[in-house]
Amino acid sequence: MKLLNDLLRPVFDLLQSPFIGLPAFVGILVWSIPVGVFALWVFGKTSNQERIAEVKRRIFAGLFEIRLFNDDLRAIMRAQGEILRHVLHYQALALKPMIFILPPLVLVMVQLHQFYGFRGLRPGEEVLLTVQLAPDSVEAGRRPEFSLEMPPGLHAAMDPVWIPSLHQITWRLGVDDWGDWDLAINVDGTKFSKSIRATEELIRLSPERPPSNFMGQLEWPSEPPLDEGGAVHSMTLGYAEGSVGILGWDFEWAFAWMVVFFVLTMVVALVLRKPMGVEL
Amino acid sequence: MTCLRPAAVLLACIAVAAPSTADAYIGPGAGFAVLGSFAVIFVTMLLAGASLLVWPFRMLWRAIRRRTKSKPLVKRLIVLGFDGQETTITERMMAEGELPNFQKLAASGCYSRLRSTFPSITPVAWSSFTTGTNPGKHNIFDFLDRDPRTYLPRLSSTEIGSVDKVLKLGKLRIPLAKPSIRLLRKSKPFWTVLGEHNIWSTIIRVPITFPPDKFYGAQLGAMCIPDLLGTQGTFLHFTTRPGGESFQEGGLQFELRANGSENSFEGTIEGPENSFFEGNPPMTLPLQIDVDRENGRALVSVNGDSLELEPMVLSEWVKLSFKAIAGMKVTGICRMMVTEMDEHVSLYVSPINIEPEKPAMPISHPGYYCSYLEKKLGSYATLGLAEDTWALNEKITDDHTFMTQTTDIDNEREEMLFTALDRLRKGTLVTVFDATDRINHMFWRYTEEGHPAAEGIEDPDYAHAIENQYRRNDEIVGKVMERLGEGDVLWVMSDHGCTSFRRGVNLNAWLMENGYLALKDGANPSEPWLQSVDWSRTKAYAVGLVGIFLNIKGREAQGIVAAGDEAEALKAELKSKLDGLMDAEKGSVAINDAFDTDKLYRGPYKGNAPDLLIGYNHGYRISWDCASGVVAGSVFDDNTKAWSGDHIVDPRLVPGIFLANHAIDSEDPAIIDLAPTALTLFGIRPLAHMEGTPIVDKDRFKRS
Repeated sequence: MKLLNDLLRPVFDLLQSPFIGLPAFVGILVWSIPVGVFALWVFGKTSNQERIAEVKRRIFAGLFEIRLFNDDLRAIMRAQGEILRHVLHYQALALKPMIFILPPLVLVMVQLHQFYGFRGLRPGEEVLLTVQLAPDSVEAGRRPEFSLEMPPGLHAAMDPVWIPSLHQITWRLGVDDWGDWDLAINVDGTKFSKSIRATEELIRLSPERPPSNFMGQLEWPSEPPLDEGGAVHSMTLGYAEGSVGILGWDFEWAFAWMVVFFVLTMVVALVLRKPMGVEL
Repeated sequence: MTCLRPAAVLLACIAVAAPSTADAYIGPGAGFAVLGSFAVIFVTMLLAGASLLVWPFRMLWRAIRRRTKSKPLVKRLIVLGFDGQETTITERMMAEGELPNFQKLAASGCYSRLRSTFPSITPVAWSSFTTGTNPGKHNIFDFLDRDPRTYLPRLSSTEIGSVDKVLKLGKLRIPLAKPSIRLLRKSKPFWTVLGEHNIWSTIIRVPITFPPDKFYGAQLGAMCIPDLLGTQGTFLHFTTRPGGESFQEGGLQFELRANGSENSFEGTIEGPENSFFEGNPPMTLPLQIDVDRENGRALVSVNGDSLELEPMVLSEWVKLSFKAIAGMKVTGICRMMVTEMDEHVSLYVSPINIEPEKPAMPISHPGYYCSYLEKKLGSYATLGLAEDTWALNEKITDDHTFMTQTTDIDNEREEMLFTALDRLRKGTLVTVFDATDRINHMFWRYTEEGHPAAEGIEDPDYAHAIENQYRRNDEIVGKVMERLGEGDVLWVMSDHGCTSFRRGVNLNAWLMENGYLALKDGANPSEPWLQSVDWSRTKAYAVGLVGIFLNIKGREAQGIVAAGDEAEALKAELKSKLDGLMDAEKGSVAINDAFDTDKLYRGPYKGNAPDLLIGYNHGYRISWDCASGVVAGSVFDDNTKAWSGDHIVDPRLVPGIFLANHAIDSEDPAIIDLAPTALTLFGIRPLAHMEGTPIVDKDRFKRS
C-alpha cells in the first residue's frame, strides 16, 4: 500500500495542479467526467447487459401496471411486490460490475479527498494536533516525555495536554502566517514529523499521518505511515472541513465534494450511456 | 448467480472492514447499481401512495358517474376469438377427438355454428361483434371503400388526415397540428357500455380498433393499424437481381449495389415520408450487407447495429430509427432474412411495424398500454395484418418463413392473453388470434388435390398446417379453462369460416363483357385502379373485395345512372344475371347469389355500402386482378397464389364457431348477438339500437 501511495501521490498532485487556484466545483466537475466514463465502460464490460435490460423492462412494466390498474388495490400491491423483486434482482446484477469499479474508484476518491475534503489553515486560526500513542508504549501511571518544535509562523496557543485514559497528547497550535511546515514531535526520545499547511490554495492536505495498517494507509495516503511498533500510532491535525460552492451557495462539509462528485459522475454516466451503448 | 456470490461476499467484507469515512468512497460505484433502483422504489412508493390516497375518491367518482346499477350474472367474461376457424374442420376434428378441450367445453356448455355477417369478412364481422349491429349501423362493409369523387379505393375503417397548417422555414416545414386519425366504424362497442357501468374490459387485437376506442379498460388495436410507411403492410426486398420496383401486392423492391467487393453490398431503406420537408421525401437509412459465403453467414449493418444472419432464417425484431429532423426520430421494428447469397444476394425485410414502446401513432388505449405490453413481453407485431402473406404470395419468402412468422405472432398473442387474464378479477377480456385465418388462407392448397396453387408445393409437412393450428388453439382453450373460477364465463368463437379459393372472378371484366363498363378509347385495360375506365359510359364497377357499385348520378363524380327507378332496375338486371353465374370452363356455379344491400342492411350508413354484394360459391372469389382494379383478362382464372383459401363467399357457406361453458337459448346464434349477450351477462339491458338478440335467457342463466 505504501508503494502504491508513493506512486499515486505525485501523479494526483500533478493532475490536480491545474485546479489549484480554481473553485472546488470546477475541479470536481472535470474529475467526474473521466471517472464517469471509466465507471460506465467497466459497468458495460462486466455486467450482464441483456439481463439488466430485461429486469429494467420488468420494473417499468410494474410501474405501468400500477398506473393501469389504479382502481384495483390488489393489483397495485401485486405490482409493487413484483417491482421490489425485480429491483433486488437488478441490484444483484449490479454487484459484479461494482467489484471491478470500486477498487480503482476508491483509490481515486481517497486521493481527491485529500484535496477537496478539507481546507488549509489561515493566519489567526487555531488547530488541534493530536498524537495517539500506542497503548502498550506507555506503562500505566507514567507520563511520557514529549515536546514539539514550533516552526516560525506557528505558535503554541496553550500547553500540551496528556490524557492518560486515551493515551493521547494534544497541542493547540496558533497560525501566524501562510506557510508549509513539518512539525517535529519528540516522544520518549524518538522524533516524529507531521506536515501542516496554512494555505488558501486547493492543494493536498494531510489531516492524519496514518498507522502502518492497510486501512490506515488506504484512508490517509498523503504522508508515509508511522512505523509499526513505534511509540506513536497516529497523528491527527484538525483541519477545517472543505467547502464546495454551487450557484452562490457554499456547502461546508468534508463530504460535500463527494455528494457533488457522485451526482456529476451519475449525470455523466446517464448522458453517455446511450452513445456508449451501456444499459444502466 | 454463482459468480455473484463471491462478489456479494467481497462487498460485504469491504463494507464491514472499512471505517466510516471509507464507506463514503463507495458512493459513485454503488451509485450505478442503486440510483436507478432507488429512483424506481421512490417512484413506486409515490405512485402507490397516490393510488391509495386517491382510490376512495376515484371509487366515489365512478359510483357517481355510473349510469345505472347493474347486477352482473358473471364475474368475468373471457372471449377467445380464433379468426376464421372453419366449422367443418373443427367439427371433424372434434368428432375425431383431436380437440379435447373444445369437446370438453362443448360438453360442459354448448357448441354451435355462428352466423357471420354479410359479407363474411373480418372487418365487417368483428365490427358487428363489437357493436351488436349490422353493417348499415357500424359503417364497415369491406376492407376497402371507394372514394366516389375519384373511384379510387380507400381504407374503409380509418381516415388519416394530413396537416394543412405548417410553418415554412426555408425547406423546412413545421406542422402546427397533429394529423387527425379517425375511426370510421360507427356505433358503440359493448366494452364502452360496460365501462359506463364501471366494468373493466381488456380488449386485445380485436379487428377494427385503430385508432383505439376510449373506454374504461385497456385495448391494443389491430386490423388497419398501418406500418411505418402508412400502408397495410409493405415488405421490402433488397436484391442484386435486376428487375422491377414493386410487386402486385404489398411489396417494394430495392437495388443492392456492390460496395467495392463481391462480398459487400449496400442499399438504402426508405422509411416513412418526412413531412418536415417540402415534397415529403422519404426518411432513409443506409444498409450494408457483408456476406461470408464460405461459412453461410451474412452481416447486416443498419442503424449502427449489426446482426448476423443465416440464409433463410428470420432475425428477431430489429429496431429501425429514421431521423426526421434533429432530435426527432420515428422508430419501427422489422424482421430480416437473407433469402439468397450465392450468385445474387437478396434480403427480405418484413413490413416495418410501428414500434410498440414509443409508438408513432396511437395503437392502444390508454396510450401507454402498448408500452406496458412491450415492457412485459418485449417487441411484438403491431401491424394490423401482421403476418406477411404478400411476401409469400410473391414467393419472396417461403412456407417455412411464413409459418415461423405466424407462430411467433401467435405466441406473442398468447402471452398477452395470459398477462391480461392473470390480472383480470372482474370484467371482460377479449383476445383475437389471427393465425388460424392466415394459415387457412395460405395453406389451404395443401389440403385439396388439384388446387391450382398446389403445383410445386414445397413441403408435405404443411399438409397438416391447418389442423396443427386448430390443435394449438385447443391447447390455448385448455390453458384458459384451467384458470377459470367461480362465475367465469368462457366463449370461444370465430367470426367466419374458410373455404377453397381455386378460381378468381374478375367482376369488372364480366361487367365489360356484358356492356355495363366501358374503357376509354385506346386505354390499356391492364392499368390498375380502374384508370382505363370511361366513366361516362360505365353503369357499374367493382372496387374492394365484396361487391359492385352502380355509377350513380350525384353520388359518383361522373355518375350516369339516375338514382331511384333506373338504379333499381339496373340492380335487378345485374342480380338476375349474376345469380347462379356459371364458370363454363369448370362447369360449376361461381356465384350463388348477388344480394341487394338495400334490402340486406338497415341503418344510417347503408348508403355507403356497395349496391350489390356478391355471394360466391365454394372455390370462387374475386380475382387478384379485379381486386387491384384491372379490367383486362378473362372473367374466370385459376388462382395460383399461395393465398389459396378464403371466405369472401356467400356468408351462408362459411359460418363461424361458438363454444361456451354455459348453455345457450338460441338455436341459430349469430355474431351480431354476442354484444347484447355480453351486456346481459353483466346485468345491463342491451342498447336500443343493437339488433342482436341475447343468446341466453337471463333468468334461466341465473338459475343454472
